[in-house]
Amino acid sequence: MTTVKPILLAEDNPRDAELALAAMEEHHIADKVVVCHDGAEVLDYLYCRGVFASRQQGNPVVVFLDLKMPKVDGLEVLKTIKNDLNLKPIPVVMLTSSREERDLAQSYALGANAYVVKPVEFHQFITAVKELGVFWGVINEPPPEGSDPIE
Amino acid sequence: MESITQERPSTPAAIHSEPVLDSSPVSSPKTGRGIEWFTHWSIERRVLAGFGLVFACIVVISAISYRNTAILIENSRLDTKSHELLQLLDSVREALGAAESGHRRYLVTGDESYLASYRTVVERIPEYLRYLRGLTNERGDQQNRVEVLERLIARQLGAEAEAISQREKLGYEGVRHLALSGAAKNELEGILELMTELDSAEQRALLARVTQSAGSTNSTIVLLGLGALLQLVLLGSVYFLIHHDVTERRRVAAELQSRGELLEASNKELEAFSYSVSHDLRAPLRHIDGYAALLSKAAGESLDEKARRYLQTISGSAKQMGQLIDDLLVFSRMGRQDMLRTTVNLDQLVKTVLHDLRLDLQGRTISWTMHPLPSVSGDPAMLRQVFVNLISNALKFTATRSEAKIEIGVARQNSVEAEVFVRDNGVGFDMQYVDKLFGVFQRLHRNDEFEGTGIGLANVRRIIHRHGGRTWAEGALDQGATFHFSLPLARSLR
Repeated sequence: MTTVKPILLAEDNPRDAELALAAMEEHHIADKVVVCHDGAEVLDYLYCRGVFASRQQGNPVVVFLDLKMPKVDGLEVLKTIKNDLNLKPIPVVMLTSSREERDLAQSYALGANAYVVKPVEFHQFITAVKELGVFWGVINEPPPEGSDPIE
Repeated sequence: MESITQERPSTPAAIHSEPVLDSSPVSSPKTGRGIEWFTHWSIERRVLAGFGLVFACIVVISAISYRNTAILIENSRLDTKSHELLQLLDSVREALGAAESGHRRYLVTGDESYLASYRTVVERIPEYLRYLRGLTNERGDQQNRVEVLERLIARQLGAEAEAISQREKLGYEGVRHLALSGAAKNELEGILELMTELDSAEQRALLARVTQSAGSTNSTIVLLGLGALLQLVLLGSVYFLIHHDVTERRRVAAELQSRGELLEASNKELEAFSYSVSHDLRAPLRHIDGYAALLSKAAGESLDEKARRYLQTISGSAKQMGQLIDDLLVFSRMGRQDMLRTTVNLDQLVKTVLHDLRLDLQGRTISWTMHPLPSVSGDPAMLRQVFVNLISNALKFTATRSEAKIEIGVARQNSVEAEVFVRDNGVGFDMQYVDKLFGVFQRLHRNDEFEGTGIGLANVRRIIHRHGGRTWAEGALDQGATFHFSLPLARSLR
């Protein structure tokens, strides 16, 4: 069995994180999820530093990114990912409460692959998170590891 | 206790009466009536009054100056005439003198050459007299004198002619008594006296005119000076007014700009506010609903009916608040977002709205009456929201009817705008609350009767106002309701 590539969930709110995990559990993909609680932690994970210095190498299959996070916010993380040749292929899904046009426009301009507004209703929320997890974690074919189209 | 209750009513009364005592009766005697009515005038009226006054003064001054100048011209004409008269009098005097001495020499010597010179002088006299009459025709006193003069001259000449003819008939001896003193000594004296009178009268008239001319010249100079001064005042005030107007305009423009900046700043603030509302207020609601669902899933089996209902209520409330926040955000966005201006076919718009609402129409018996609607000028998305809200309302409030009747049409249309209405036969409303209908969060029904957040009609009003239209409604309890709004017609239809 090959090593399963993780789903990275950047969510500063522990309750939202728990609800998201509960939703993914229904499809048995919760154990693939790595939760980061702020933008700095996301970057530490991606660059294998800090608490993630000893983690297994390789990019996550998808990053679920909240917009409003302490230290480094979602848009900054997105910018860093899409400006790094190694990280650029990782699909990034904005998962946020904001429906503001400005956030949508900025996210897509910076290279977000999808933008999902968290529904207030729990059933809609778990449906959304489940489908996202299944689509990006299972259905979608991730970019091949270490490939660099430019080279 | 008693003292307090007694004092209380007196205070508002005292406050009430103060402004009455303070106002006009006290201030008016100080300022005086004349200034008081002037200060009540608007600035335009005051400017008009000032200009009118100055203008009237200039007109009066011009009229007087014109009259003075006319007098000067007339006087100078009369002066010329007077001088001619004085000269003529001298000539007449000379001619009469020459005639007198001529006839006397003839009487003494009988020399015919004296007689010839006498006759040439006499021939000229009628012409002089005619001139004399012409020069005095404008003055009665002088004319009377000239008439007397004419008679005297005629007598003088007659007497002289008589003496000459006697000399011819009788010779020197016949006229000896006349030769020394002349034939018409008395007449000649009278004539000379009369001519002196004529002379001095003319001199007096001349002098009077000189005085009059000098006076009117002086007054003309003064008046022209005054006129120039007034014109300067007029020019000065025109300059002042224009200057004042321009500065005022500049000030207003600057103020408008700074207000616009303020408005923009407060709009940005509002945007930030609604952003945090949309982001931060939603999260806890999601948690409430989420954990309630998790709880019911984890412990649903062991909970009794009551506890399960409580959990459902928690979820329902969270959802309702989420809806409220979403509606509020739409409402706030409707006020801020940029508006399109295109031609919107309302018939087409209503059709798509009904298609979108088809889920709400399932299981309902509705009789629709659709009148043709015009094309208007506006933002399609916003106007769509208007019809969604009004038709949803009509559907909602006719839910208790076995057959809902909904009518959409145009009540009035002129060249500029159309008044559209949406009428239903639903539960209606009491007209005494009509003012609350379009307010934010204003509801006329309890939530267990009809669900809603109280934002729909507020949104309708906001959108219609942004289009430059009006909204109003009429209805009666249990008699249905009619909602009206006006919209500017599309340009091509005007």
